[in-house]
Amino acid sequence: MITDDLLRRPQYSLEQPEKEALLVAELMRLTEHHRRNSTQYDRLLRAVPPGEITRLNQVPFLPVGLFKSHRLISIPERDVFKTLTSSGTTGQQVSRIVLDRDTAARQTQALAAIMTHVLGPTRLPMIIVDTPSVVKDRKTFSARGAGVLGMLTYGRNHFYALDEEMQLDRVGLQAFLKKYCDDTILLFGFTFMVWKYFFQQIRESGLDLSRGVLVHSGGWKGLADEAVDNREFRRAFAAATGLTRVHNFYGMVEQVGSVSIEGDDGYLHTPNFAEVIIRDPVTWQEAPTGSVGVIQVVSVLPTSYPGHSILTEDLGAVRGIGTPSGGWGGKQLEVVGRIPKAELRGCSDTHAAEA
Amino acid sequence: MDTGIALAELPAVDVRFPRRRTASLISVVDAIAEAPRLQPYSDEVIAFCASFAHELARRARGMPELQALAFWMRKAELLRMRDEFCALGTANVVLVPRGVVFHLPPANVDTIFVYSWLLSVLAGNINVVRLSSRETEQTELILDVLTEVAARTEHAGLASNTVMLRYRHDGQATAALSEMADVRVIWGGDETVAEIRRFSIPPHAFDLSFPDRSSLTVINAQHYNCLDDDAREFLAERFFNDAYWFDQLGCSSPRLVCWVGSEECAQRAARVFFELLSSVVSRKSYKVDTATAINKLTYAYRAVLDQQVAEVRWLDNEVVVLPLERFEAVSGEFCGAGTFYQVRCERLAELASHVGRRDQTLCHEGYSADELHELTIALNGRGIDRIVPVGDALTFNRFWDGNDLLQAFTRRVFIAARSDLGRYREKASDRGGEGR
Repeated sequence: MITDDLLRRPQYSLEQPEKEALLVAELMRLTEHHRRNSTQYDRLLRAVPPGEITRLNQVPFLPVGLFKSHRLISIPERDVFKTLTSSGTTGQQVSRIVLDRDTAARQTQALAAIMTHVLGPTRLPMIIVDTPSVVKDRKTFSARGAGVLGMLTYGRNHFYALDEEMQLDRVGLQAFLKKYCDDTILLFGFTFMVWKYFFQQIRESGLDLSRGVLVHSGGWKGLADEAVDNREFRRAFAAATGLTRVHNFYGMVEQVGSVSIEGDDGYLHTPNFAEVIIRDPVTWQEAPTGSVGVIQVVSVLPTSYPGHSILTEDLGAVRGIGTPSGGWGGKQLEVVGRIPKAELRGCSDTHAAEA
Repeated sequence: MDTGIALAELPAVDVRFPRRRTASLISVVDAIAEAPRLQPYSDEVIAFCASFAHELARRARGMPELQALAFWMRKAELLRMRDEFCALGTANVVLVPRGVVFHLPPANVDTIFVYSWLLSVLAGNINVVRLSSRETEQTELILDVLTEVAARTEHAGLASNTVMLRYRHDGQATAALSEMADVRVIWGGDETVAEIRRFSIPPHAFDLSFPDRSSLTVINAQHYNCLDDDAREFLAERFFNDAYWFDQLGCSSPRLVCWVGSEECAQRAARVFFELLSSVVSRKSYKVDTATAINKLTYAYRAVLDQQVAEVRWLDNEVVVLPLERFEAVSGEFCGAGTFYQVRCERLAELASHVGRRDQTLCHEGYSADELHELTIALNGRGIDRIVPVGDALTFNRFWDGNDLLQAFTRRVFIAARSDLGRYREKASDRGGEGR
């Protein structure tokens, strides 16, 4: 099966034409699979007929917001293994993603393949840049909790660096670093936590993190006031702590496992089994290399829900194609950020919220 | 002591009219309590409104919504309104102001607060207008012009009779102003109406509320197919104004286009109509931003799953048509910005059974006055408050949401001049006359 093949082969090792050919074939099959098994998906494709699919950018997509309003499902109810929900502030609708055992297993395998590529085959001593309580209640799958929980597997001897008040456990951290002074150390956290609460408390302390590999995710949206972007983030960490192995990643609950991770070139790279397409927001055709547009993500992992091709609400650009021989094949993605909010007028939407 | 604390806690509000200043709520409340009532349609108030309209027309170049507003309240129109108003009075009925009118206009239709305020101030009322916290170029221009005109010495009466202000997240201010109101005017949808109604008004007072509504356009397909290119072009432009001025989110902006006629006729008409609309939209440089386009896409896909929509006709980001398989009430949130449900009816009368209380404006093309009257009588109040030609969806007038706003801001004082004694004496003198 193509999916298994894409998961098994070394990640980022495929030349782009081969990768796209394999993905097109598999995504076509998945499109048919979801049509057969989801009446909702079939109705949608009847309303917006996709035409013949011979290229990656012809695979029909669903807007990500649809997963917030509808529970889209391509399996019998009895096969539902678990339901993932996205983060969201009170009152906001959250995505509901239905998984069966197969899809869940594939997601785990996929994430492992990506992380192995970055971290090597052995588990590393791990610092979690968060509070221990974020994973305490495993029933409430908050996105942050789920993210940390998913990453715990890739480390050992977990140490949580922050307390409930987001204060650094300085003594604990120093002890941890001393204990594992000969090891490569994995650090994981959400981008804004890492920058706002971790980095700000260690930047003056002369801490040596040059043995560290930092994996972070979550985007820059909470950091608009801080004037920090990926470049500044890397520069500041290197200057203050000697930490240079930094891997940002881009992913979403609607396609768990199919994350794009930052390579040595500073760009995000999609694994063998997933791809990104940048779309022009006026024509919705694929945008040329270098132009900023709306990010569409495709992945061969989801079989339990029709989420194999999703139009996100993020802006990004493909800057070029990476080099498989250098360990980082696949498109070079740069995520620019969320699409700015709409400004609309009208009679509705008024004072209710402010009375 | 208690009072001291209560006063200290009373929030400050941002007064925008008659002049920009930060004031305590208590001082605003006091000012309203002492404000003078004016005589309905006095020369003074008409002169003020006319000067405002004149100045606004001059300053609002390139803002069609404000031009429409200025045109609507130009002097000739104000005088016509006065005549209509005077005609409402009789020898036995005198119209007087209600007192204090508290207006809560919608956040996003920039001109509604002026229409609401104008009809009330013309009738002589004292007005409090709570402006939306969202400042737009349009509202700020209106307020600047209002302020400047009111500052002229001859309009001093007006400056003390109206307060326009902004305040945020504050139940106290809404509560205090509601308590003073003789009429409270709530624009802006179901949620707002419910929210504001939590604050009580005096027993004699009443709410004039404008909840969520939706509107439609009905076109005689055969008639449309017989029109020449010029006429179709003209209609497309008029329809553009109806639909796009307030990003299709006004209560009166049409969301549904109903074609009346045979299947084949309707299809042909619809194809031409929306293609022409698309070219008008691009000629007028109306563009939706990326977030709105994605919002529309998501909305359209949701409609496929939740409504009887079997097709998404995405002409471009600005014009999206969602044909309904059969007539059904389209409910829930609406994304606007050029999203049109479409349905077909065999005959106009068929429409009557599908219209509900939420439906406000019906725009028409290709029907006679008799046919429209027949429809109204068939509807018998189940829905529809306005029936206007395509292009006039947003044209405000005194009749709105089933109310006559010319009368709503007044009380009627009934006067019977002749007393029983007078009548008795007349009779007596008549009898005396007989006896002579």
